[in-house]
Amino acid sequence: MMEYVLDTVIRAVAVGTPLLWAGLGEIYAERAGVVNLGVEGMMILGAFSAFVIAHTTGNPALGLVVAGGVGGTAALLHAFVAVTLRANQYVSGLALAMLGVGLTGVLGRGWEGIPLLATLPEISALTYVSIVVAAGLWFVLYHTRVGIVIRSAGESPAAADALGVNVYLVRYLSVAFGGVLAGVAGGFLSVAYRPSWTEGMTGGAGWIAIAIAIFAGWNPLKAIWGAFLFGALYYLSFRLQTWVPPELLRMMPFAFTILVLAATAGSRRGEGAPEALGLPYVSGQR
Amino acid sequence: MRLLIVLGVLMLVVSLAATGTAQQKLKAGFIYIGPIGDYGWTHAHDQARRIAEKTVAGVETVYVESVPEAQAEPFIDKLVQQGAKVVFTTSFGFMDGTLAAAKRHPEVIFAHASGFKRAPNMATYMADFYQVYYLNGLMAGALTKTGKVGYVGAFPIPEVKRHISAFALGVRAVNPKATVHVRWIFEWFKPAAAKEATAALIAEGVDVLAFTEDSPTVVQEAAKRKLASFSHYSPMQKFAPQHTVSGQLVHWEKIYVDFLSKVQAGTYTAKNLANVDYWWLLAEGAVELGGDFGVPINPAYKSRLQAAKVTTPDLGRLSVYDLVMKRQAQMANPKMGFDPFTGPINDRKGALRVAAGKRMTVGELNTMEWAAPGIVGPWAKEP
Repeated sequence: MMEYVLDTVIRAVAVGTPLLWAGLGEIYAERAGVVNLGVEGMMILGAFSAFVIAHTTGNPALGLVVAGGVGGTAALLHAFVAVTLRANQYVSGLALAMLGVGLTGVLGRGWEGIPLLATLPEISALTYVSIVVAAGLWFVLYHTRVGIVIRSAGESPAAADALGVNVYLVRYLSVAFGGVLAGVAGGFLSVAYRPSWTEGMTGGAGWIAIAIAIFAGWNPLKAIWGAFLFGALYYLSFRLQTWVPPELLRMMPFAFTILVLAATAGSRRGEGAPEALGLPYVSGQR
Repeated sequence: MRLLIVLGVLMLVVSLAATGTAQQKLKAGFIYIGPIGDYGWTHAHDQARRIAEKTVAGVETVYVESVPEAQAEPFIDKLVQQGAKVVFTTSFGFMDGTLAAAKRHPEVIFAHASGFKRAPNMATYMADFYQVYYLNGLMAGALTKTGKVGYVGAFPIPEVKRHISAFALGVRAVNPKATVHVRWIFEWFKPAAAKEATAALIAEGVDVLAFTEDSPTVVQEAAKRKLASFSHYSPMQKFAPQHTVSGQLVHWEKIYVDFLSKVQAGTYTAKNLANVDYWWLLAEGAVELGGDFGVPINPAYKSRLQAAKVTTPDLGRLSVYDLVMKRQAQMANPKMGFDPFTGPINDRKGALRVAAGKRMTVGELNTMEWAAPGIVGPWAKEP
């Protein structure tokens, strides 16, 4: 029994780590008021660049760093469209997702089928770092001035602007930060979790990360348990196939998430979305 | 004077047009269900397409990848519009779309992979692995120390069920008490699911793995825990050189070259394909045993397989290594001296499925839903 629990915990952490990284990034972007649906695109761009760097230089850690850079750059595209051009953020994010998946599909031709020798273990420093980072991001968001600035840009940008906060800059930086974390999450997939490259290898993880950001109530600490809970359920959907019909188990992680949301709906006061989420801000308007 | 110019231009145009048609190549279109970068089913079809284009004179090919199953028709129409005279649709799910398109384009030749519906201008073709899976099973049965072998399956359709059953028959032929544990991931390509399903199987005590999924994930995952596995579809031995025993490899180009040559020669027309059904196996060279081309059994496992001995009804007592090579030779012979699905075979519930002395027909193989003895786990639509 103990072995079963331990085994599940290990798998939960392995599956959940990239979800946590991407989810944390999305939390910060959304706290600043910008919805970024392009997490899937940023993750897969990160996965591809990390794989290429790790393969050519033999240094997987460098691959992760580059992945973060690539993810952040891609996110800046979305930030430009959402913040400066004030276009529909949902559409822009979706476009980024499709762009990322398509671009890596084209660039990745010929890269599939190459085993990666320089890899990172899937439970490693990165996992522990992700928990520390989550705790750190929670502290920054709720107990520092930087956090207040970010949250105000998302709750009431007009008031923040009146107090001298550069809302545009804050949103740009938050979205870029979200992109960096998403890129690292994708890099983790191709360098540690499943060291190789195949087209579309993120397989929808980006969308799960967006869901985790919402499920966590935009709270980095809650994102930890959200990501690992999802990881555990995903693993169990295979482990439990001997007792439960696999078709039912397939929907279990998602159905469970909805159940938890419904059950905890009453106690979720104060956990609503940032007021100005998804609304473009124009300096001078109410 | 004007008349001369007009005549001159006319002659020029006609001569150019004439040379144009003389040099016109046969255009063959390919519709893929997945991305060619999947290193699995679609990747293999695309590799075969390239070889066919180089091998058969006067053929040029075009392809469309990642076509959703319900959308075969618009893409087929597009290829026909671009001048394709032969269209290959490479997934079971394209069957009805291909048939409908074949009716609408009676002058175009269609060929559908892994299906069973045909028309005067629509043939079917398949390179099937069941013999190779049986050989893999023989080796798995010999190598498992816990008596539990694992299989990560995609969809519980007859094709995959047939492969798992062939695998289980092989396992039990060497190890009558071993069990084959199955986990389903309901996707052809989902590395994360394959990985977690592998972890789940290993947690249950499985120590040898085979799978149907279009990525090397299971091979890598098993190798991480130092467990043996069987490569699938593309040469995956390089992902785990010390832990890939063997596998299944495909040569779709054997079928494509044969089909396109026959179209070029006029043997196949848009009127006589109603009974053309390629069911190509080891004997035709459409499939190959091994985790890498030319390597039927990984040398790292040779001594272990030679040390394991088994008694067979027709070949006496011999090492598993020799048994695998002998069975392979028997099946590669067009006279097919051996077939894994030769009766009497009961399914895992005990019902007789194949009568004594009889072999399963192609039709029966294409529609089989039962599970061979030794298979443990969920099995949709089990009769």
